[in-house]
Amino acid sequence: MNSARGQSLGGGTAETTPVITSQPTHSIDLSPVDEILDRHGRGPEATIAILQAIQSRFHYLPQEALEYVCSKTGISAAQLTGVASFYTQFRHRPVGEHMIHVCRGTACHVKGADLIMDALVRHLRIPPGQDTDPEGRFTVQPVACLGCCTLAPVVQIDQATYGRLTPHSVPRILTDFLDRSSNGAVPRNWHFISPQAAEAEIRVGLGSCCQAQGSRRVYEQLQELTVRNRTPAVVKRVGCVGMCHQTPLVEIVPRRGTPRLYAKVRPEDVAGIFDSHFRPRNPIRRLRYHLARWLDALVGASEEAVDRHRIDVRDPPVCAFLGRQYRIAIEHGGETDPLDLDEYLRRDGFHASRRVWRDLSPQSVIEEIERSGLRGRGGAGFPTARKWRIAAAAASDIKYVICNGDEGDPGAFMDRMILESFPYRVIEGMLIAARAVGATHAVFYIRAEYPLAVERVREALRRCQERGILDGKSGGEYPVTFSVSEGAGAFVCGEETALLASVEGRRGMPRLRPPYPVESGLNGRPTVVNNVETLALVPWILRHGTERFAALGTPGSKGTKVFALAGKVQRGGLIEVPMGVTLHEIIEEIGGGALPGRTLKAVQVGGPSGGCVPASLFDTPVDYEALTATGAIMGSGGLVVLDDSDCMVDIARYFLRFTQDQSCGKCTLCRVGTRRMLDILDRICEGRGRPDDLTTLENLSRAVSAGSICGLGKTAPNPVLTTLRYFREEYEAHLQGRCPAGKCVALIHYRITDDCIGCTLCAQQCPVHAIPLTPYRKHEVHDELCTRCDTCLAACPAGAVIVESGGVEIRRAKVARGLGAGEAAAASPLR
Amino acid sequence: MIRLTIDGQSVEVPPGTTILKAAQKLGIDIPTLCYMDGLPCQTSCLVCLVKVRERNGRERFVPSCGTPVAPDMEVESETADVAAMRRTSLELLLSDHVGDCLAPCQFACPVHMNIPDMLRHIQSRQFDEAIVTIKEDIALPAVLGRVCPKPCEKGCRRGSADGAVAVCDLKRIVADWDLAREDFYVPTCEAASGRRVAVVGAGPTGLSAAYYLRRRGHAVTLFDRQVQPGGRLRDPNSSGNPAILPPEVLNREITAVLAVGIEFRGGARLEPPNVRGGVAVDSLRGEFDAVLVCIGEQNQRTWEALGLPSGPRGVAVERGTFRTVIPGVFAAGNAIRGRGLVVRGCADGKEAAFAIDRFLKEGEAKPWPEPFSVRIGKLAAEELDELHSLSLDAPREELRASVDSCDLDTAEVNAASVQAGRCLHCDCRALPGCRLRRYAERYGADPNRYKGERAVLRLQYKESHVLYEPGKCIVCGLCVAVTEAARLPLGLTFVGRGFDVRVGVPFQRSLEEALGKLAEQCVAVCPTGALSFRDGKTPASLPILRSG
Repeated sequence: MNSARGQSLGGGTAETTPVITSQPTHSIDLSPVDEILDRHGRGPEATIAILQAIQSRFHYLPQEALEYVCSKTGISAAQLTGVASFYTQFRHRPVGEHMIHVCRGTACHVKGADLIMDALVRHLRIPPGQDTDPEGRFTVQPVACLGCCTLAPVVQIDQATYGRLTPHSVPRILTDFLDRSSNGAVPRNWHFISPQAAEAEIRVGLGSCCQAQGSRRVYEQLQELTVRNRTPAVVKRVGCVGMCHQTPLVEIVPRRGTPRLYAKVRPEDVAGIFDSHFRPRNPIRRLRYHLARWLDALVGASEEAVDRHRIDVRDPPVCAFLGRQYRIAIEHGGETDPLDLDEYLRRDGFHASRRVWRDLSPQSVIEEIERSGLRGRGGAGFPTARKWRIAAAAASDIKYVICNGDEGDPGAFMDRMILESFPYRVIEGMLIAARAVGATHAVFYIRAEYPLAVERVREALRRCQERGILDGKSGGEYPVTFSVSEGAGAFVCGEETALLASVEGRRGMPRLRPPYPVESGLNGRPTVVNNVETLALVPWILRHGTERFAALGTPGSKGTKVFALAGKVQRGGLIEVPMGVTLHEIIEEIGGGALPGRTLKAVQVGGPSGGCVPASLFDTPVDYEALTATGAIMGSGGLVVLDDSDCMVDIARYFLRFTQDQSCGKCTLCRVGTRRMLDILDRICEGRGRPDDLTTLENLSRAVSAGSICGLGKTAPNPVLTTLRYFREEYEAHLQGRCPAGKCVALIHYRITDDCIGCTLCAQQCPVHAIPLTPYRKHEVHDELCTRCDTCLAACPAGAVIVESGGVEIRRAKVARGLGAGEAAAASPLR
Repeated sequence: MIRLTIDGQSVEVPPGTTILKAAQKLGIDIPTLCYMDGLPCQTSCLVCLVKVRERNGRERFVPSCGTPVAPDMEVESETADVAAMRRTSLELLLSDHVGDCLAPCQFACPVHMNIPDMLRHIQSRQFDEAIVTIKEDIALPAVLGRVCPKPCEKGCRRGSADGAVAVCDLKRIVADWDLAREDFYVPTCEAASGRRVAVVGAGPTGLSAAYYLRRRGHAVTLFDRQVQPGGRLRDPNSSGNPAILPPEVLNREITAVLAVGIEFRGGARLEPPNVRGGVAVDSLRGEFDAVLVCIGEQNQRTWEALGLPSGPRGVAVERGTFRTVIPGVFAAGNAIRGRGLVVRGCADGKEAAFAIDRFLKEGEAKPWPEPFSVRIGKLAAEELDELHSLSLDAPREELRASVDSCDLDTAEVNAASVQAGRCLHCDCRALPGCRLRRYAERYGADPNRYKGERAVLRLQYKESHVLYEPGKCIVCGLCVAVTEAARLPLGLTFVGRGFDVRVGVPFQRSLEEALGKLAEQCVAVCPTGALSFRDGKTPASLPILRSG
């Protein structure tokens, strides 16, 4: 009902200020801690890894274990406490059996994540101020972003991800989860035929989002079918295809003939699709097969299913989705097995790095990158060659290259997808960077919320070592030592100086620059920190020539940019487009435009550091300078499309709440400034705004932006400033007590009109009993009980539930098919 | 060497020098809260922001404490833009600052006496210190201790619990004790200014004004129509009830006031010009550099006859400065208010003395500066308990008024100490050293501009001799840096993140254990009252830790 909505859980209360409490003195077995220390080391740099290992063993951080660590290592009590309380991943109290992570990413937010949170809390009967149900089965925790934006709203229960939820479906997913975890059979890995002998390849997208949509089960079924039928086909898991709006995707690529792409495949469709391509060899099986086909034909079920799901890459929407794209960073997306090193090598993998290390001087590598015009894809767009040149010039026997995989922007998941799908490509990019700057060490820093990315990168590194490409036991081709550091839940660690602090095992606090990391970075040594996407582009540039890269884009922004397109658009997904393409082209052509019956209002570019570009400026090209001129920034590449049902004040508040929550708390302007900005926005959204609030907000935003010491604080006001600039009238409406989009819960009211037919559906479904059950009579909503969950509006078949704000009708329930408004009225017993 | 300009002045410093240090070389005082020589730079408070223009023309705000100079850098420190940014940082810090700089009793008291300080002295039986504190603001404490209606006690937070602290009685006891001494307290006056002031009317206002003007170094002549000074304090129909205010007490107190070196001329009545035997405003103007009229209530016609501008209640003066339209002529007390409390007269006298002092020294009268203070306002019951837990748990007792004598016995001293110990010390223990308050005052910061939901007042580590008040912590990081630099086994650390980050001791150990021998140093580096000695003691300044 107010700002406390959804915040009772971790948003800004007890959990944010963890008190390092002493647990009851029941003694715990500390022997696993010794193992953990043996595995991760005893130096201060191992702090985060040690804490993560302790947490994964005990599910929280018992104080006894922490004290034990202090006694056995060189890590001070102060550092351990400081680090444990800085990162949100760490828990200081025992948790329930299962963890439910509710994504609070942008796409999830605009699609009702708060309502899902409310529904979970209600359904699990979690007491106010707590996060675990009374039986201790589930602990509910909000997370910044799970990176499955196209499936919004999303929750993750342990390792299972559920997407496209409604408050109504919450009980179902919990039951589903418990059912699955009780039969819990993990399928064996089937390998039946060598790729060379295969007549066809069956590709199943297994990125995090595809898995969330059930592609894992589709994959398992296909494997089972190939084994059972001895089909000469290879079922292959491939990285992200990018067409997240169509997942799960299955592509069948025969050695001869046309590939077929199937979209939104459900497990029950798998057999039909499989059968339409592969006929059994064994005569008995063939007979059985024909019999089954004939039976199916009689029923008519399976054929229909197959047709319904088949899409052709030449279909106009697919063409549009893929047509404008130009794939470099995500080249071969959906075709290759992320971990198949041979396949990577077959596709010219490690050619560029070999050339660079054998034939080119560091100087000429930098020159090539300079000619390509490559700029950092992490957001600020700093020329990559310039960064490398300074680091190359710095004198030091030890230098570092770090891959910044701490993609934390809600609404962005391209780095996750690249790490999951193309780990070798990023490794190659790092090898090239290492050559250019003379680095001896390469570090992957990946946020802990991306377990699949971490797993694949570790595995890819292992395979490279095994093959003698990287430095392993037998020595490697390249004299660069790789390691992986995991983040622990702090958005600010995407800022390079905070990232360095985190890799060193400290609290992720940014520091003032200069000195810049290229001069004094990790452990005081020259360090280049490059974004995942930047590094993924590098091998292509060196393989295909700088000219080809520089030919793409605008004078100031060369090459391509990967975007995560999500929000209120027909086709969301991961796309890579040449710079210079306009927002209009991305949203209308690739994304397919607005959802039916809606008009586009703006697109949020660049996440919490970016801004909202209004529809009137959709002809803005994708270009660092052009986007900055609108008040937004290129950012890391989140594009969340907003339509007339989105409240711009709420969007500004959403982003600010995110940055405010993620502020490290070091400098005053960010720590207190963003909080005070949020106070004002909360006030405005709750109808308690004061006449001078907009001026105060604007002035404070400018001060926070001008004075904060790191990028997080400097850019945090952007969403506020851009919405104030382009949508000031919405702010003013709120000051007058009206939310034009009908989004701000304190400013809207649900009402049932005389069209009510007394069917009681709304009353039955209302989760808080705000609508008394009055059969055959007009129903009424008790405003003070109503939580604005929208269930009644969705349930009403008669178009009788309306949402009002400031006395104006905003939305109305749809009249169910076959029940015209007139009939509804006639059917009403009140007439 | 690198050459740069700061506020238009050119300076040369070695490479690597910070802007802050370069400015110090020029004598430009940049405020800092989180910087301390000898400790690593924290760059957290952002009160030291300056605007720099670099060679490429780019302008930006940077923290001067951590930003190295660059060739041809142009730095602005004392400009309106920079002041506005510093003010914003300060206002944001204040918006999250849970504490009262000055206690509510101090605001309720018309003369704004530093009551908590007086009480601390009384509690520790240092009456000689207590009288110094009292006489900073009250010239007639023995008198007020008897006739004052005690507005201060109405402001006392303990009033809502088990009765306000007996502030007024305690003040009276100290004043009586002082007057009973042979060598009662006579403050040292500032060096002679060479300026002369005539104060007409020797009632509470006139006596107070004369006392504080003299302390500021001016030569003061106090006129009264009566032979003896005292005015309405001697008038049984006014405040001069001998049963309440014995003449003995009054006489001794007036002697102590005049002892600072005030010339008293009795039998000199203020008269219209050219009336024989009286003094006239005009002639006094000729003889003195300033004239303060504080005779009692008169009617409008009389004021006009005396040649003074009159308003509805008396002489017309400008609010705050007490000046009339006649240059160099001021009026205060009942002369401008008709009938007021004695304590109001005392306050007027002190404030008028300040305004006249400014007039004499700077050419323009200035109003008494309202002391800067963050104010919590109403406390919740648990918060009161928090404060209560550090004070003596004794009931309020009336202290005997020694009507006919100024002598005190030991029992009275002990009782006074106990009663003073009931004070909750709502004021800040770090008041003299608080840099946040100093700069907030300098930049005119408004603590209420960004007021948000107030955090709960908490006092932590109450068992220790050092207290931590999270509500006053600005998370500057200095105390953490001190313990880090010393590699203490436990030390302090930041706990939490973002807005809620605070300083804490690992594993819930005590502050004593955490700080070891560094307690004094940690209190000394704290720029606010977040870390303070429980007994209000000021830490000795430490050589390596000078403020930046």
